[in-house]
Amino acid sequence: MRLLELEINGDRLHVAAPPHWTLLEVLRYELGLTGTKQGCDKGDCGACTVLVDGKPQLSCLMLGSAAQGHAITTIEGLLPAHRAQGGAGADPVQDAFDRCGALQCGFCQPGMMLSAKALLSENPTPTSTDIKHALSGNLCRCTGYTQILEAALLAATKTEEVL
Amino acid sequence: MAARDQHGSGAPWGAEFKVVGQPHRKIDGLAKATGSAVYTDDIQLPGMLHAKTLRSPHAHANIVSIDVTKALELEGVHAIITGTDLPINYGVIPWTPDEHALANGKVRFIGDEVAAVAAIDEDTANAALKLIKVEYEVLEAFFDPREALAKTEPAIHEQKPLKDGSSRGNVSKHVKLEFGDVDAALASSDVVVEHDYSFHGTTHAAIEPHCAVGQYSADGLLTVHSSTQITHYVQRALARVLELPEAKVRVIQPFLGGAFGGKSDPFSLEFCVAKLAMITGRPVKMLWTREEVFYAHRGRHPMQLTYRTGANKDGKLTATDAKILIDGGSYSSFGLVTTYYSGQLLTGPVDIPTYRFDSTRVFTNKPPCGPKRGHGSVQPRFAFEIQLDEIAEKLNLDPIELRRRNWQGEQTKTVNGQRITSNGFMQCLDLVEQQSDWKARYGKLPDGRGLGVAGSMYISGTNYPIYPNDMPQAGIQLQVDRSGRVTVFTGGNDIGQGSSSMCAYIVSEELGVDLGDIRVIAADTDLCPVDLGAYSSRVTFMVGNATIDACRKLRKQICTAVAEKWEVEVAAVRLGGGLALCLSDAQKTIPVREAFQWAEARFDTLGSTGSYNTPTLGGDYRGGTIGASPAYSFTAHAAEVTVDRETGRITCEKVWCAHDCGRALNPTLVKGQIEGSVYMGAAEVTMEDHGINRFGLHSGPSLLDYRIPTSLDTPDIEALIVESIDPEGPYGAKEAGEGPLHSVIPAIANAVYDAVGIRLRHLPFTPGKVLAALEEKEAGQPAGTAS
Amino acid sequence: MLRLPTFQLHEPASLKEACALFAEHGAAAKILAGGTDLLPNLKHEIYDVDHVISLAKLPGITGFEMQGHDLVIGALTPLAQVATNPNIQKHAPALAQAASLVAGPQHRQMGTLGGNVMLDTRCQWINQSYFWREALGFCLKKDGTVCHVVEGGKKCVAAASNDTAPALMTLGASLTFVSATGTREIPIEDLWVADGINNKSARPGEILTEIRLPLRDHTHHGAYGKLRERGSIDFPLLGCAVRIDLDDADCVRDAAVSLVALQARPLLIKGVDALLQGLKLGSTELDQAIEAVAQLAHKKCKPLDNIPGDKDYRRRMVPVYVRRTLRAALDGTGPVHHI
Repeated sequence: MRLLELEINGDRLHVAAPPHWTLLEVLRYELGLTGTKQGCDKGDCGACTVLVDGKPQLSCLMLGSAAQGHAITTIEGLLPAHRAQGGAGADPVQDAFDRCGALQCGFCQPGMMLSAKALLSENPTPTSTDIKHALSGNLCRCTGYTQILEAALLAATKTEEVL
Repeated sequence: MAARDQHGSGAPWGAEFKVVGQPHRKIDGLAKATGSAVYTDDIQLPGMLHAKTLRSPHAHANIVSIDVTKALELEGVHAIITGTDLPINYGVIPWTPDEHALANGKVRFIGDEVAAVAAIDEDTANAALKLIKVEYEVLEAFFDPREALAKTEPAIHEQKPLKDGSSRGNVSKHVKLEFGDVDAALASSDVVVEHDYSFHGTTHAAIEPHCAVGQYSADGLLTVHSSTQITHYVQRALARVLELPEAKVRVIQPFLGGAFGGKSDPFSLEFCVAKLAMITGRPVKMLWTREEVFYAHRGRHPMQLTYRTGANKDGKLTATDAKILIDGGSYSSFGLVTTYYSGQLLTGPVDIPTYRFDSTRVFTNKPPCGPKRGHGSVQPRFAFEIQLDEIAEKLNLDPIELRRRNWQGEQTKTVNGQRITSNGFMQCLDLVEQQSDWKARYGKLPDGRGLGVAGSMYISGTNYPIYPNDMPQAGIQLQVDRSGRVTVFTGGNDIGQGSSSMCAYIVSEELGVDLGDIRVIAADTDLCPVDLGAYSSRVTFMVGNATIDACRKLRKQICTAVAEKWEVEVAAVRLGGGLALCLSDAQKTIPVREAFQWAEARFDTLGSTGSYNTPTLGGDYRGGTIGASPAYSFTAHAAEVTVDRETGRITCEKVWCAHDCGRALNPTLVKGQIEGSVYMGAAEVTMEDHGINRFGLHSGPSLLDYRIPTSLDTPDIEALIVESIDPEGPYGAKEAGEGPLHSVIPAIANAVYDAVGIRLRHLPFTPGKVLAALEEKEAGQPAGTAS
Repeated sequence: MLRLPTFQLHEPASLKEACALFAEHGAAAKILAGGTDLLPNLKHEIYDVDHVISLAKLPGITGFEMQGHDLVIGALTPLAQVATNPNIQKHAPALAQAASLVAGPQHRQMGTLGGNVMLDTRCQWINQSYFWREALGFCLKKDGTVCHVVEGGKKCVAAASNDTAPALMTLGASLTFVSATGTREIPIEDLWVADGINNKSARPGEILTEIRLPLRDHTHHGAYGKLRERGSIDFPLLGCAVRIDLDDADCVRDAAVSLVALQARPLLIKGVDALLQGLKLGSTELDQAIEAVAQLAHKKCKPLDNIPGDKDYRRRMVPVYVRRTLRAALDGTGPVHHI
């Protein structure tokens, strides 16, 4: 067991976890942040994607300990951050995914939305090709990606409006 | 028997729909978007144990002994169960109950379940698995269905002999049906095409792995949360195997992370968590690894298909003769139905005047096959639609024109006795022809680029309820109170397709309530009326009709109460847009909430039930009801591909898919179903392969080696909705979730022919096969002999 | 969920401390950088290790630095940064392109250049769970005595699968290893050993800290070509890096071609420079020589059924990818990738 000091969604949290636990396991089973999903066990599907200092990374391939000293954003962090900025409703990415029908089963989407979020913060006006590349590490089995692509494009326009 | 509880296809309040037909958000979209939606593995219960499964390393073996002593001694291990603890057999199809939760003396594939351990955590359970000693007597294993068919011993399953006393060997199911005189029709045809085709195995690969949580209360109530798409059948199977009354078994499907047919059998883990919870008195969770999900499989059956199709010079088809060998894997699963579907679902949208199919499903020592999106009918459709392309070429006809000439029409009957009601296939063909600029481009694109077309049909549920009964297939309860909120209780499984949202759209349309004031409680057997589950594309049609039925009963009470207050005719009252209105007096307008209050005062606590059952359908012969649907959806695909002659890589650039779903209740969700189907089907052509290697091992049970497409590998998809309003569907709706997968596969095959002139008949179309076929063509050999 | 085995985790705060730990535990320890290769392999129980030495807290072995004519890249620099660094894109395009095609976007954020150099070999018979490998009867690389790729084979032929390795080989990179006993710099060609069990000559206790690229002052062209099934995530079924240096008269001054995902070692094709040297850009002779290089590579490269993907097809693609990558280098259109 080791005591980890983690910064998750802006909160500084202390949590005890065995050293061989991944960040994904710490998030889901220690902190109850179950919005981060597990799909493949070993970095093949992207469902466990979280933002580490704003960059999309795979929490199933990162030891809990390795997350120390970095700002971690999970899907649960988007809505509060949006509200803290005075936003109404959901975060523009979440809202666009909902509006466009991009959430079928919804299981891969927390990771997908975080990859989209990271893209939009770096490139607020991405092309379809940019989006396809940025999301190419997040597998979705329901949508055929079409409505996801629409959602990311819509989120880009909405993010611009907000900014 | 006529269909019960039908309400026509029109809008509830006259010509205009207010909710239906418009894009709407899903009722649970934001819960999913914000990460608050709870899926099965998100459930954590106090004192919960974690369970793991010991699996067979042998493809075919008898279990001589199992010694769990050492494992039980490990600190933190609470219980271990083996086949003797769960001796009762089961199977989703009651006629073929050949499964056990844990192997009952015999294992039949590498990965078959042998024992389960419950421990304080997963690590301890895993450590215990390594301490269990199993002694096996290894048997000869069959990986090739031809071999399993030829050799009857060792039989993978003990089966009753046939009526004539002969052994069934490894045959799981054989169906041979003939409609009309096929041989005579072929003999007199102007052209006949005959070829062998093969379809490989593919799997669902839903991103959520299977998971179940079992609880057993002190007073004997078993609760199982499970990532299932068939709550009702799981409840029945649990009751049977655990010897509990059904009333003591509660099954709840939390949010579900994709299914596609892969979660429509009762699975070992559901029985194991239940039994372990009963033994330990603690909640028990089992989450399968991705590898284990590949062993659970129930995916697309590999099929070897021989097809002969005849036609006359005028382009009219004369006959189709099909012989199909189906590789079932190690258990029956839905295999009885698969065997029928492999023949029964081919008889539209083009008319086949005489038809014969002879399908044999064989057991092999591989993960069990089952229903994957387009159950049983995707493989035959692949072969048949390529044959149509070949016939069109022989007759010098445009392949779209050939299909038009053979369209079966509306309100008709197929050669095998299936009733066809609405049929929008001609509009589907028109749309893909138009949108793909077919006339200007087919046959005229530069070398290496081509267009192909294909068509198909699929069921909107069937009247075969899996276990014979006269009760409704779908039931709905509505609960309304004075707050203005309506709660819908449905047994229907929302597996991401949006069935709960669909219920809400209908309630909003019928009762005028805002979508935000509608709650849907779904797939909880303690709370919800029975629904048979999310399979066979039955949910929109059946649950939708049941929802309308329930709404109409409630609406009658509400309108009566309002009419009495206003002293007007009941027919003058309208509910819509959150209001109750009076047609004869514009001054009379109240919030619908107040209307509910008047109704509650007038009729006491409000609520209603609704249900749906199919009419009597199907041919009057053994098996004639399997595949008989109250309505069929129709699809046409045009695909555009490029073929790199040097690398052999086929790239599907674009797919136009026109799908006749009856009325599109929410076009956004319908498009999502079409796009998802096209994506999944296209991936089966070039990418996905559920292979078993020479050792009987899955060739790559991971999402790295079983390659499902990324955003960069998916063709551009244009989803085109055709609305042939069906007379019996809810507001005229039909299915959209499975039909649009079928014909994308042969459309791509046909496009490859247009691009480079090779007929590929054996899936998957790997670059190596493409290069071999191109070489054969260069060498002047008949195209398409490459395997 | 597939779990990691238990281990003792060390998080040294200095390179010195890391070296001391590695020296102490030797073969019983593994170095953890980005984790995208190590963690899946640990989950598959491919290593018997009790110690994991994480480099996460080490300062100063990340980033890019010019040292004279050399560009020095810290071993812990994420692949995403290597792919997008303007200096690398300009002076070592094959490396930037190779890094941009490693796995998927998240892997490139986590995975490091040093980690990709040190990537373990891959094979369809080894990159599987313990259960799967036990059902198979194991293999030479771990726990077993037989090879399932080469019948009767006594030497493991698991494939080098690192995209950046051939790029670094064409660029003449050298590697700096630091250990408790000192620092050693070796040309990257000397790293590789024809043994799939461990295809590297680095000794237990040595930590890769720097990758040094000699920059050329003449016109340099380079590209990377990658054959894989999907547009993302997948390891290479074949990887091909090329470098062509031109003199002031636009004639080939020097050239190199290297391939990966064949056998245990990445392969630098010998004799490429002789075929191309002196030929002028745009000349028919150069076109013909490119074809000759493609055929030479075809002769030298013999993929095996180690990684997924038909070996005959992969071999057939060798000349195609060599030719296309050479052309892409000259045309500045790399990488060669189907997407």
